[in-house]
Amino acid sequence: MAQIDKTKKDPSGGPKKVSIDVGDGAAIPSREDVGLFTAWRVAFFGAIACILYLAFFKPDPYVEILKFLPDGIYVTFKVTVLSIVFALAIGLFTGLGRISKNRFINGAASLYVEVIRGIPLLVQLFYIYYALSKFVNVPDMASAVIAMAVCYGAYMGEIFRAGIQSIPKGQAEAARSLGMTPAQSMFHVILPQAVKTILPPVGNEFVALLKDSSLVSILAVSDLLRRGREYASESFNYFEAYTVIALVYLVITLFLSKLIGIMEEKIRAE
Amino acid sequence: MKRSVLLFVLTLAAGLFIGTCFTGQAVAADKKAAVKTVTVATDATWPPMEMVDAKKNIVGFDIDYMNAIAKAAGFKVVYKNTAWDGIFAGVAAGKYDAIISSVTITPERQKEYDFSEPYIAVGQILVVPKAVKAKAIADLKGKKVGAQIGTTGAFEVKKVAGVELKTYDEVGLAFADMAAGRIDGVVCDNPTAANFALQNNEYKAKFKIVGEPFTRENYGIVVKKGNKELVDLLNKGIKAVKAKGLDKQYEKKWLR
Repeated sequence: MAQIDKTKKDPSGGPKKVSIDVGDGAAIPSREDVGLFTAWRVAFFGAIACILYLAFFKPDPYVEILKFLPDGIYVTFKVTVLSIVFALAIGLFTGLGRISKNRFINGAASLYVEVIRGIPLLVQLFYIYYALSKFVNVPDMASAVIAMAVCYGAYMGEIFRAGIQSIPKGQAEAARSLGMTPAQSMFHVILPQAVKTILPPVGNEFVALLKDSSLVSILAVSDLLRRGREYASESFNYFEAYTVIALVYLVITLFLSKLIGIMEEKIRAE
Repeated sequence: MKRSVLLFVLTLAAGLFIGTCFTGQAVAADKKAAVKTVTVATDATWPPMEMVDAKKNIVGFDIDYMNAIAKAAGFKVVYKNTAWDGIFAGVAAGKYDAIISSVTITPERQKEYDFSEPYIAVGQILVVPKAVKAKAIADLKGKKVGAQIGTTGAFEVKKVAGVELKTYDEVGLAFADMAAGRIDGVVCDNPTAANFALQNNEYKAKFKIVGEPFTRENYGIVVKKGNKELVDLLNKGIKAVKAKGLDKQYEKKWLR
């Protein structure tokens, strides 16, 4: 998803400043973006209308499919929320490690980011679930959450690093001159300011993680996609089952991106 | 300099694309030849019925059987290794003509697809870790039992109340998960169960087969609904294979 914002003209009359904002998540709607705002409305209410229409006018098999899915939706949410919480924690430490002056810590954090970002998520899931099970026995849900959190933690780490580095050096220097320790200046001065920069991309990652959570269905974790596949494999209603799954995912991601958009606006207003 | 690199990449891409097109045409030209070609899908993750050997060839009982049918009925077979989940949708969409992939003939499947005559009888059987004392699936109440998604084994586990069914893309992943201690049983067809639990070097010390098969099922070859011509052709071949006693020979070779 690339979003090209040409509206920001350089006040000096020079060449246009073009910012290309690339993220994996659904586009976060904002009020200035009129076209996207309506696109969001059309997609969101259209998807809900589609589901209702199909359930009402073709109850067989659509109502049956919808009845089959709720526990899968719950599992999808559970995986997403748990993964994002752990990914945030891992990301914070990785981000701090990446700017650390200690060569060992810095090297370890950088290596983690490089290795994880170089391996596809699907491969990581297989690796943590099936390959590592030779040595340690981790339950399926925990295994899925660990894999997702370890993967997204690397991306989060880069977001944290960029956010922290975006705060002018003077802030840290001022905090130190007030007698704060480096840790105090980081947690009381730098991070609270960095949060504003960090939150939008973190929101994007949240939506991206929710979509990527469909990959855990290969681990026999009964998420939304696996429930749909189980239904389709027994009833042979492939078209109907995958239509409903796509619509449900669309409604969830659009709803979440809207929530994140509102949250961002509030932060900006403060 | 940069432009020449780009040009090189584009030429390479175009070359690959054109190459692919020509191979496609060669296959199409092949089809026009006098001998009829039947494309057959199989999910080669189900030893010893269909699997991929060390040389990347698709081999197994079903494959030998299908080749013998083709020889007897006078057509050529092209195999397409296809993931099980969606293999039925592919035959309905016309991506291939038939499926030979240890497919049990069930009334539900017969409603949607046409089947050949049965070519072998099997049954569902439970495999558990050696430490588990269970006589049937019902003894595993409150525990997790695995099966491949969309197989009759999965349907049998689902029927038993109180047992949590876990479905996998491949039956091998279910056995891997049982070896890791995450599930307490796997249900699949008896030839495949025997292959994993008795012949697999890594698993034979860990797993055991519980009793005898508890269902009686017949494998059939699947074709698109209404393709009577192909069903007749397949049935003719199956009859000939059975008459020659080749099926017994393959059973000895693959199923022991």
